[in-house]
Amino acid sequence: MTANNLLHRLQLPALLVLSQLLLSGCVTATVQAVREANTGFESEDSLVVLGRRSRPTANETEFNFVNCVNRKVGAGGDGLPVLSEIEFRDALFPWFEPRTAPANASDLPELISQPELAARLESIGLRYLIWVEGSTQRTGSAGSMSCSVTTAGAGCFGFLTWENDSKYEAQIWDVRTGRQAGKLSSDANGTSYMPAIVVPIPMIARVQQSACTSLGEQLKVFLRGTS
Amino acid sequence: MARRRLTAVLLLLPLAGLGGCLGAQVEVPTEFPVPLLQRLPINVGLVLSDELTSFAYEESLPDNGDWRIVLGPAQQTMFNNLFSGMFEGHQLVTGTSAEDQGTALAGVMVPSIEEVQFAIPSQTRSDYFEVWIRYQIKLYDNGALLGEWPITAYGKANTQNYRMSGTSPALQAAAFAACRDAMAYFAVEFQRVPAVRTWLATQSPGASS
Repeated sequence: MTANNLLHRLQLPALLVLSQLLLSGCVTATVQAVREANTGFESEDSLVVLGRRSRPTANETEFNFVNCVNRKVGAGGDGLPVLSEIEFRDALFPWFEPRTAPANASDLPELISQPELAARLESIGLRYLIWVEGSTQRTGSAGSMSCSVTTAGAGCFGFLTWENDSKYEAQIWDVRTGRQAGKLSSDANGTSYMPAIVVPIPMIARVQQSACTSLGEQLKVFLRGTS
Repeated sequence: MARRRLTAVLLLLPLAGLGGCLGAQVEVPTEFPVPLLQRLPINVGLVLSDELTSFAYEESLPDNGDWRIVLGPAQQTMFNNLFSGMFEGHQLVTGTSAEDQGTALAGVMVPSIEEVQFAIPSQTRSDYFEVWIRYQIKLYDNGALLGEWPITAYGKANTQNYRMSGTSPALQAAAFAACRDAMAYFAVEFQRVPAVRTWLATQSPGASS
């Protein structure tokens, strides 16, 4: 393959990446950590990130956010061994269902005193249980856009803008000590724009993604005990 | 030609969006976990009636189409897995009489679905599908009814988690969550039911095989 051919092949992906970078809205994200106990991670330890599915809550944590945090914590050279949420809930069924899941870290010692449960936790090497609560909400929107289709063609005109706000909190429970080790909160907000002159051009602020990245990276640092 | 296709697509898009709100038919998956419990050292019988294993709930909602939730086929795996985790042994029997029970079984349980309700997002003014299932469990010993108790199970699913897939997967997930909830409730509360406590007290270790 010649250098020219290679450049030609890379043109489209490069343009897509460049347009994604240029056409994304601005996001500001902050993470706060409260440490209540020392943490550390040994080679045989693992963790699980669970979304709170408590029954009365109308704003359940999105599956894709929990999956995203799972991926972030497990990714990279400093990634930690993460168990999948579904596999964990199935392996420990029925103790982490919405009806039965422990509400506080103080409920943990009684729960894990059951021999079957303790043996299963030991076999999967679970050290940390991380409960994620929160959601991403649209907090405001403005503008208007109209699209029409005629025999001469189709097109849209107008301008839309909207603001999203992500608020998530992760409670970190140390299964070995039966205590809460700390809390991390991740807030992110950003404004997306969509001007349209014939073709709509979305400039999306990836608010939830930003909150996930911040929380995932901070969790790794927190659990290794270096923050 | 290309312009005509684009026009057709643009005209059909809003219809496709509306179609997602006009009813659905779902069947609950049959993959259920086995509960992690200290098994009771007894063998029990389980009656899964045809009414239960073929149960389907249907409802027409004004302006929101026809809805059908097929729960029956999942009940067999659900109760088999539940009983596998809870008892030393269990077997399917066809009736509750002393002959059906035999000498190896400490009792016979008969679950049934008494009522199903569901709500769609436009009714709850939220992003959630919700499903309620009311089971009735009957416990027999040598043909005599020792007790019966209800289990009200609840499941919900956020449509935002299934944005690209229409309404069916969210309704299916809510119904599946309700079945899991029924299993969890049954497993955790079983020994707290007064009739069950009395019955278990009469079961000596020799009753198990």
